Amino acid sequence: MSKKRTVIFVIVVAVIIAALVAGIVLTDGLYERTGDINETMQDAVLHEGDKISLFGMQVNPAVISGFVVTGILLLFAAIVRLFVIPKFTYIPNKFQLLLEQAVGMFENLARTNSPHRNGFLGAYLFAAGAYICIGTLFELLGIPWVTAAGASVSLPAPLADINGAIMMGCLSYLVILSGGIMANGIRGVGKTLKEFSLPISMSFRLFGALLSGLLVTELVYSYLALSFVLPIIVGVLFTILHALIQTYVLTMLTALFYGEVSEPHIAKPKKQKKVPSEVISK
Amino acid sequence: MQWGIAAVPLNIDWQQILLHLLNFVILFAGLYLLLYKPVKAFMKKRKAHYEEMEQSASEKNAAAERAKAEYEGKLASVDREIEEKRAAAKKELDGYEQMRKNAAEEEAEGILREAKKKAAEERRHALRSARREISALVSSATEKLVLKETAHEAYDQFLAAVEQKDEPSKHEEEK
Repeated sequence: MSKKRTVIFVIVVAVIIAALVAGIVLTDGLYERTGDINETMQDAVLHEGDKISLFGMQVNPAVISGFVVTGILLLFAAIVRLFVIPKFTYIPNKFQLLLEQAVGMFENLARTNSPHRNGFLGAYLFAAGAYICIGTLFELLGIPWVTAAGASVSLPAPLADINGAIMMGCLSYLVILSGGIMANGIRGVGKTLKEFSLPISMSFRLFGALLSGLLVTELVYSYLALSFVLPIIVGVLFTILHALIQTYVLTMLTALFYGEVSEPHIAKPKKQKKVPSEVISK
Repeated sequence: MQWGIAAVPLNIDWQQILLHLLNFVILFAGLYLLLYKPVKAFMKKRKAHYEEMEQSASEKNAAAERAKAEYEGKLASVDREIEEKRAAAKKELDGYEQMRKNAAEEEAEGILREAKKKAAEERRHALRSARREISALVSSATEKLVLKETAHEAYDQFLAAVEQKDEPSKHEEEK
């Protein structure tokens, strides 16, 4: 080992030891909860104490998050439509390529999973994918909002609310059902109803995945000692992973089931009646 | 407005589900009209453009192949034509050469004939002049003889001398 490397090694070890000593001193007496964890988690799930008033209606913060996300996305889409799309060229620049990739990815997902009917499915997957992905990333902004009780609450992901997740799961199921009806009529309804557990599984998968992230974050934040460095991993990286994974899972499942129920029915050939051997011998 | 629906666990609220649904429908319609449809239309247009380019290129390629085959055929026929023309030219040249050869031969024969004729003429002329010279010699000799001998002897000698001279010349003429 050269002299320079030895010096670097000694410095690194010294820094680690100093950091550990500082951690031990600083964390002394910090393992006290800032509030009741049960209450915190119950609030995160049920939102009983942080209702927000929307045109006189008492709604969960996720409804407001949903409208804000929609507003952001539509504003972005309008700007792109007005200023970017008219300047599209046959050899795309980086931003055009990004937009084309986003549209092409969902269109391709729809086409490969449902080759017979995919026009509407592609558009639905694009909207759902954008809503889930951007909606999940939206919680990173932590936009504050005033509740009906006058308290401050940071806006969560729209689908971290059970109502939002149920809407997305059931709507996806209805889209699948519509594909079945359009392609196969009553037979399509039968095919779709066969998967009766799909809306529940889709809704709760989405809700559970997003809520688990929220709960882990709440748990981490409920202890002061865990508030150093760790929230960067938990809050940012997990949220980004969540956004990508949930977008992929829901759009993929919807496309898969849509393709399955919209597949044209092919009648099986009727089996020929067996002719008795006596008849043949005659 | 209270619908008298029993409390649903997990704070599931139909009104809020409908609010989420309304929100999503607005988002779907907006994204479809503002982003998805125009981008997809552009991609379709570009695909059609490149397909058209490809088709045009393949058509041009096929036309070029056809033209190449045509030119190759023409080149082959031109080679054949050149070969034919070369053979014809060679044949013509041979004919011309033969003709020149014949003419040269004819000319040579003519020259030879003329030379022979000229030689014969010159020979005749030489003989005639020789004869004249002989006659002159004889007459001079005769004169000398006449002066020295008698006329009679001289006359006999003259006749004998003439006969002697005439015989070899007749022999030469017959040859």
